[in-house]
Amino acid sequence: MHFLPEGVELSGDSLLTPQALPLLSARGITKRFGGVTALDGVDLQAEAGRVVGLLGANGSGKSTLSRIIAGELTPDAGTIELTGQVIAHASPHEAALRGIVIAHQHPSLAPDLPLWENMFLGTERTRFGGFIDRSRTRREAASVLGELGATLDIDAPAGTLTASGQQVAEIARALSRNPRLLILDEPTASLSPAEVARLFDVVRRLTSDGVGIIFISHRLAEVEQICDRIVVLRNGRGVGDWATSGRLDEARILELMTGDPEARLRPHIRREPGETVLAVSDLRVGTALRGVNLELRSGEIVGLSGLQGQGQEELLETIAGFRRPAAGSIVRRGVRVSARRPRDMIRHGICLVPNDRHRQGLFMDQSVGDNLTSVRVSMQHRPWQLPVAELRRFVEQTIERLQVKTEGAGQNVARLSGGNQQKIVIGKWLGVHAEILLLSDPTKGVDIHARTEIYATLDELAGSGTAILVFASDVQELLLHCDRILVMYEGRIVEALAGEAMNEQRVMAASFGRGA
Amino acid sequence: MFWTDLRRSGVLPGLAMLVAVVALNVWLQPHFFGRPSLESNIATFTPTILVCIAQAIIVLNRQLDLSLGAGVSLLNCALASLPTDIVGGAWTTIVVTLLLALALGAVNGILVAFLGLPSLIATFATGAIWFGLALGLMPQPGGAVDPGLGDLYGADWFGLPVPLLIVCVVMAGCILLGRHRFGRWLVAVGSNPASAFQAGVPVRAATFGAYVVAWLLVFLSALSISAQTLSGDARLGQTYTLTSVAAVVIGGISLAGGRGSPWGALLGALVLGIIANVIYFAGIPSIWQEFFKGLVVMAALGFMVFGQLRRRMA
Repeated sequence: MHFLPEGVELSGDSLLTPQALPLLSARGITKRFGGVTALDGVDLQAEAGRVVGLLGANGSGKSTLSRIIAGELTPDAGTIELTGQVIAHASPHEAALRGIVIAHQHPSLAPDLPLWENMFLGTERTRFGGFIDRSRTRREAASVLGELGATLDIDAPAGTLTASGQQVAEIARALSRNPRLLILDEPTASLSPAEVARLFDVVRRLTSDGVGIIFISHRLAEVEQICDRIVVLRNGRGVGDWATSGRLDEARILELMTGDPEARLRPHIRREPGETVLAVSDLRVGTALRGVNLELRSGEIVGLSGLQGQGQEELLETIAGFRRPAAGSIVRRGVRVSARRPRDMIRHGICLVPNDRHRQGLFMDQSVGDNLTSVRVSMQHRPWQLPVAELRRFVEQTIERLQVKTEGAGQNVARLSGGNQQKIVIGKWLGVHAEILLLSDPTKGVDIHARTEIYATLDELAGSGTAILVFASDVQELLLHCDRILVMYEGRIVEALAGEAMNEQRVMAASFGRGA
Repeated sequence: MFWTDLRRSGVLPGLAMLVAVVALNVWLQPHFFGRPSLESNIATFTPTILVCIAQAIIVLNRQLDLSLGAGVSLLNCALASLPTDIVGGAWTTIVVTLLLALALGAVNGILVAFLGLPSLIATFATGAIWFGLALGLMPQPGGAVDPGLGDLYGADWFGLPVPLLIVCVVMAGCILLGRHRFGRWLVAVGSNPASAFQAGVPVRAATFGAYVVAWLLVFLSALSISAQTLSGDARLGQTYTLTSVAAVVIGGISLAGGRGSPWGALLGALVLGIIANVIYFAGIPSIWQEFFKGLVVMAALGFMVFGQLRRRMA
C-alpha cells in the first residue's frame, strides 16, 4: 500500500479518493486449506457501476476468493471493506443482507422445489406471520426470468431443468436479491450465445444502476466485451490489475497467468511409442463431451489439460465404461469396444485411477495387500478359488516394483502417506495387466516429492508398454512428464501439442479457447 | 396443470392402492360406507394417521425418527399414571404430557440437528430410552386415563366425529405449514441441505423445528389412543414406528427427503388401516396382517423405482 502525502493528486484508476470509495475493497486476503495456501495476500477492488473481470488458471484462487467475499468461507487473514466499512460476515445469509450475492458456477438449487420457490429460498416474500405471498413471489420470479429472456416453467422442480436452465435459475436467484455487488462465477459456461447476450444486457443495466460486478470467466471474448477492469491471479496471488477499454491485451494476460518462463525447462525423456492401442472418435456424452477424437499409443504418456470442468473427467469415465456415450466409438487395437459397466472395459485392459482415492480408489479400512489384490480377485475366472500364494507373490512384487513405503502387506492402507496410497491405487491394476491406464488428477493433495515418485511409477509402466492418459489440473506437471499434451475446451480437444510446441503459453492459450 | 401437480406430488400410487383396498373392503363388508362403520374406522385410524404425518414431516427433512412409537407409549403411560392429586387434575395432566412430548422432540432435534448424529441411530437409541422410561412408569398395563377424555373423543361436534375433526385440523395445519416460510425451509433442507445453506436458510433450526412439530402430532396421537384405551400400556405404541415408515413409503414420500407431501402419509396410513380391516373381514388369521402390509410396501417401493427409471430415461 502506498500512502500519498496530502495534496498530491494522482490520475487514473489507481486513485482512491474519499469521494469515490470503492464499493468493495478486499485487502491481503489469505486462505489455507490444510497445508495448501489457496490465497496469499490477494487484493481486490470492485467499484460501483463497474465490471471487474477475475482471471486465472486452475487453482489460482478465483473461486476461493469469490466465496470468501460472498461469506461462504472465512479468510485466515485480510480485511474486507464495503464502502469503507470493515465487514466480517460469517454466512452467505449475512453477506446477502449487505447486498453481496454470488451466482455459482455449479448451480446450487434444491432439486425438488419448484423454480420460483428456489429463486426466493431464504428471502421469501411473506405476508403476516411469515406466510408466503405466492402470487407476489411468482410474479417477481417471472419478471426476473423474463429480464433474462428465459422461457422456463416456474412451477417445474429445479431438478428437472436442463443444465442451462439451472444456470439461468442460479443467476436469476442472485438477481432477485437486489445485489449491490454481484459475483458471477463462470455464469456463461452452459449458456447459449443468445442467453449470454441477454445476460450481458442485464449486466449493463445493473451497472448503470450502480451495481458492482465481479465477473469470472474462461472466455476471453466475453471478458473483453463486458469488463472495465481486469485482475489476474496466479497461484493464489494477484499478479495484474489494470483498467481496460475494448480490446484485451491477450498476450499479457496469458503471460501473467503462466508465470515465469524458466519453469518450463524439463528433463528430456525419450520414449519410443509403439502402435496405436486406443482410438476414440467423435465421442459425445450429453453436453460434457461434444465430439472428442484422440489416439493413444503403447508406451507413451499423454497429458490431458485444460481448465477444470471442460469434460476431462467425463472423457476418462466414458472410456473406462462408467458412462455410456451418446455417440462415437472407442476402438481398442482395431476392435470396437463398448461397455455397460467398468468391468467390461477392465476385461479389455482399460483401467481408470479415479481422482478421489479415498472414496473411489481404496478400501480405506483394509490392508495394503487386500487393496492391491482387490482388482485381481474380482476379475479372476474362478472366484471360489483364492490363489493365496500367487497373490502374496504379486503383492510383494508390486510393493517392490512401485517402491511403496510400507511396513508390509498387512499394514492398513489408511496409514500410508498420500503418495504411497496413490501408488497402491495404480498398483492394483497391475494384477490384471492394464494395457491402457487412465488417471484422473493422480497428484491431487500430494507433495512434490510424492508427485515425482508417482510419475516415476508411470514412467516405469510406460517403459513396459502401457499406454497412459493422465488428466491433471496442474499444467507444469504435465509439461514435465508427458510426451504429448491434449487440451480440452468446452467438451472438445482443441489442441494437441508435442515437442517444442509443448509449452505453458500454448497450453494456457488453448485452455482459454485461443488455440493456434 | 392439475394433473401435472398431482403426478409430481407422488401420491398417485398411494391413491390407486387406497381405491383398491377400499373396493376390497366394500366387497367384503357392504356396510363400509355406513355411518357406524366409518365412525369406528376413523376413531381407530386417527392415532396411526397422526404418527404417520409426524414421520412424514421428519422424512421430508431427510431425517428419520424411530422413536415415535415408543414416544406414544411413554406419553400414554404418563397420561395414565401421573398422579392427578399432585399435578392437579385432568387438564394439567394433559398439559404436562404435552410439555413432555415437546421435550422428547427437542431431545431428538438437538441430537440430530445440533450434534449432527445420524438420525437413524440417534432415534433408535432414544426410542429404547423412551420405552425404558415407559416401562419404568408402568411395568404392567393398567392405570387410568380420565374417562372424560374418552367421552370427548367419542363425541360429535358440528355433526362430525371428533377424531375426524382432529385429522381435518391437522391437515389444515399441514397446508398452512406448506405455505409458511418455515415449511418451505424444512422441505428445502431435505431436498438439498448444501443449497439451502447457501441460500441463507437456517438449516439446523429447520431440522430442529421439524422434530418439534412432529412431536406435537405424536402428542395428539397419544391423546387419541389413550382416549380409546383409557389405560396405560408401555407396549402400546410398538408397531407405530414401522407402520409410520411404511405409510411414508406408500405415500410416495422420498426417503432421501424433499419430495412428497403429508397427504401421501395420510393415504399410506389409510391403506395400512384398511388392509387390516380387509384381512379381518376376509377371515384370514390376523397373524398374516404383517405379511400383507409388507407386500403393499414392496409394491409402493416398486412404483418408486419405476418412477425413478422413467425420470432417468427422460
